[in-house]
Amino acid sequence: MSATMEKGVRVLKEVMDAPIASYLNSCVHCGLCAEACLFYTETGDPKYTPIHKIEPLRRLYSQEYTLLGRLMKMVGLSKPLTDAELAEWQELVYNSCTLCGRCSVVCPVGNDIVYMVRKLREGMSASGNAPDGIKGAANRTVTIGSPMGVKLPAVKAQMKHVEDDYGIPIPMDQEGAEYMVMLSSMEIINFPEYLGAIAKIMQQAGKTWTLCSTAFEATNAGMQIGNSDLARLIVSRIVDGAERLKVKTVISPECGHAYTALRWEGANLIGRPFTFQVKHIIEVLGEFQKAGLLKTEGFETDRLTFHDPCQLARRGGVIQQQRDLMNQVAKNFVEMPDAGFINWCCGGGGGASAIEEGEELRIEAFKKKKSQLDAVKPDRLVTACANCRIVLEEGLEHYQMDIPVVGLTEMIAEHIPEKGA
Amino acid sequence: MAIGNDKEFKSALAGLPVAKQRQVAARFVQRVFDLSNDVRVRAALEVAGRPEISDAELTVVSAAANTARVESFTQCGKETDWGAQAGLFVAKAAVACVGAPAPGSNLAWDAAMQSRMARTCQTVATGEGTENREAEEQYRILDAFLNQ
Repeated sequence: MSATMEKGVRVLKEVMDAPIASYLNSCVHCGLCAEACLFYTETGDPKYTPIHKIEPLRRLYSQEYTLLGRLMKMVGLSKPLTDAELAEWQELVYNSCTLCGRCSVVCPVGNDIVYMVRKLREGMSASGNAPDGIKGAANRTVTIGSPMGVKLPAVKAQMKHVEDDYGIPIPMDQEGAEYMVMLSSMEIINFPEYLGAIAKIMQQAGKTWTLCSTAFEATNAGMQIGNSDLARLIVSRIVDGAERLKVKTVISPECGHAYTALRWEGANLIGRPFTFQVKHIIEVLGEFQKAGLLKTEGFETDRLTFHDPCQLARRGGVIQQQRDLMNQVAKNFVEMPDAGFINWCCGGGGGASAIEEGEELRIEAFKKKKSQLDAVKPDRLVTACANCRIVLEEGLEHYQMDIPVVGLTEMIAEHIPEKGA
Repeated sequence: MAIGNDKEFKSALAGLPVAKQRQVAARFVQRVFDLSNDVRVRAALEVAGRPEISDAELTVVSAAANTARVESFTQCGKETDWGAQAGLFVAKAAVACVGAPAPGSNLAWDAAMQSRMARTCQTVATGEGTENREAEEQYRILDAFLNQ
């Protein structure tokens, strides 16, 4: 056994906890999780059955923590995990799992399969079996502070561009602001208009807000690769920045895993409560809407539908706000089948879109989204996650579906009257 | 009177009919085209720059330019190459030039902003800072266009 493999096995033993023991002993082998996974439904390949994806974890649990498993290992009826097996499992644990959580919510005995996949990723990562694409993102997060290598000068360049475009100043390091706005690399790089939309919305709402020069990046590559130490480091940077600026609320951007990592796991990762609240931008917009601070004019009249990002809707429980926001600016908003809590993933979450060798599979899995869209035939598709947005665009392009994709925050901002107009 | 700021620039562009907006927008994008060199983008700019364009032509070049745009995105987790990223914004600008104008939209302004963003990416890539003269060049192009 190689040194990295030993490390991987050691980490897997360390992460084996009571919930995992409970889940593994509760599985009734019903196969419902298979039907909930788009990688299985669209390929028909049983290896993509979610509970099968954690087989190395199950085997190790059995060999180490059950009497029968120990006996079988002793007499050679159960073989130890090998490097080759973990390497083979990379495709199942990363490429074909977006951590969307659909398998977890359909499990009749309540097994959180995603929880187990994430624990398995810890061992995969420690044993060197994470995909190169995600490893690169994790390394850049440590060395540069951003998984996509975005540095502060690039953020400042985008700020200047947005200030010119929208005519609104973008505050940076403003102590005592009510909101600290986080960005994902994807927004900085691909969708700078998101920042302009925020500026416009905040100006109208009369709220103080700021970016933070030491914590502008929200994306949590630690969570994606399966490295709690890295996830903790990323959250700590944000906490340090928010506490330094004494903000009341940190706004997670339109990035699903950033939201989960900070909102639902951040305090546990750093081992203490936050001194501020964490909200997704859609939650904040929902609050503004309820408080009458979101005054829009005009309506979109074409046929629109909404793709619920998994981490926002299913894992985060934010479902109604985006619909209320859509209805404020759209006359013809239609729901896809399975929308909301049980929506199908775009196919690129959880780091999957960073894995080049997984592209063919992602495109295959996109057939599920295609069938949802075919059912309602929208003119445009709205979403609230920069990663979903690009994965959707690529899938639509591949299947030659002429459906433009737009971000909800930007669409709302477009309906806010220009100041002085 | 020469255009000297974005307010005048935006207002002047908004006052142009769509066909004229496409023509001047194409000139803005031509200035940054060397950051892309995608043949689909070039085709879109050639069509947008012509005074007479059929709907069928627009549909074809718009679809091709959009494909170039989608192919230029940097995917989540990939290392950013700001030089290549400039190509995304050139493609976005080209899409604006030949896209169907939404009510109240200012496609030439959109193309101008995306072109500036492309130039900004170039300056980030070369480490030259964020200052560039793209806006002033666009004012000059619009002045010349209006006075021709």
